[in-house]
Amino acid sequence: MDNRLQFLEANVRITHQALIEQSKAGNSNAQYQLYSLYVDAMFNTAYRLLSSREDAEDILQESFVEAFKKLDSFRFESTFGAWLKRIVVNRSINFLRSKRMVFVAAEVSEEAISEESNDVNQPLQVEKIKKGIAQLPEGYRQIITLYLIEGYDHVEIGEILDISTSPSKSQYHRAKRKLIGIINEM
Amino acid sequence: MDNLEEYIQKNRKAFDDESLDKDKLWSSISKELQPEKKVIPLWRKPLVRVAASVTVLLALSLTAALLFFQPQFDTEAGFASQELMEIDMHYQQLVTHQVNLIQQHPRLTDSDKEEFLSFMDELDAEYDLLKMEMQNNLDNERVLEAIVENYKKRIELIENLLRQINASKNETHDEGYLL
Repeated sequence: MDNRLQFLEANVRITHQALIEQSKAGNSNAQYQLYSLYVDAMFNTAYRLLSSREDAEDILQESFVEAFKKLDSFRFESTFGAWLKRIVVNRSINFLRSKRMVFVAAEVSEEAISEESNDVNQPLQVEKIKKGIAQLPEGYRQIITLYLIEGYDHVEIGEILDISTSPSKSQYHRAKRKLIGIINEM
Repeated sequence: MDNLEEYIQKNRKAFDDESLDKDKLWSSISKELQPEKKVIPLWRKPLVRVAASVTVLLALSLTAALLFFQPQFDTEAGFASQELMEIDMHYQQLVTHQVNLIQQHPRLTDSDKEEFLSFMDELDAEYDLLKMEMQNNLDNERVLEAIVENYKKRIELIENLLRQINASKNETHDEGYLL
């Protein structure tokens, strides 16, 4: 990372820290600014997991209210964005659970997981990948989204889905193989 | 890492292409945040709760006191016992009678009457204060003594004045007799 980028990131961190402290004190203007900075990214995360704009908006509303109400518990141990995203993701998964729509197997499958590289054999595009993900079965779509797009590792996914890391890994590899197959057929 | 993982990692931000009506959602969020900020903390503060309780108690005590003492004022002039009320009435009648005598006396000038009555007004004011004090200290002997003393002063004042009038009358009579 070059110095300019480091400087920019530090600047953003300081600005956000001031907004967070003011929001903790109940300053609604600071809360709105903080909300504006993160609402789009959080909406995309919720929408990817829930596949419904209405459900994503409901979850987002609940998540921001929760975040502002328990902002005192945020101790800058992670970035605010990561802390907030975890609230959104947890609420989204709980919502899917309530609808019995979480399909990640809690047990390790007997099926051997191929570790060999399985590249997409045509030019990659964001739109094409999104379409491919949308065609995946629910469980595969969730794990691909959490790992590939949201950037969680298997330990974190294990915590989010309340499973151990092995089922997370095996489910991910199967989902990715399926996704590559879909994209290659496009 | 295969080319799919690599591509997504490099282009992660491009996947955030959905948007929503931010202000509409914010109005719903801020509504949920408002009540807790504005209403609850006031009553959660122990000091405010104590103050509110004390105010209610004071208001109730005041109402009860007014209801309890007001009839006593009217019927017994604020005195604790029948005996005290009778003493007060006795002196009051005596004073009223003598004040009437002064006011109707033909030999006194208006300025003399005014001067005398201003003294009486002072004693009246003192009497009212003592009576108020007595409501707070019903058993305070010093207050009772002061009330009696107040009446005695009035009577003394009136008696002195009457004595002076009669003396001057006698003097005038004597002079006329001598002449």
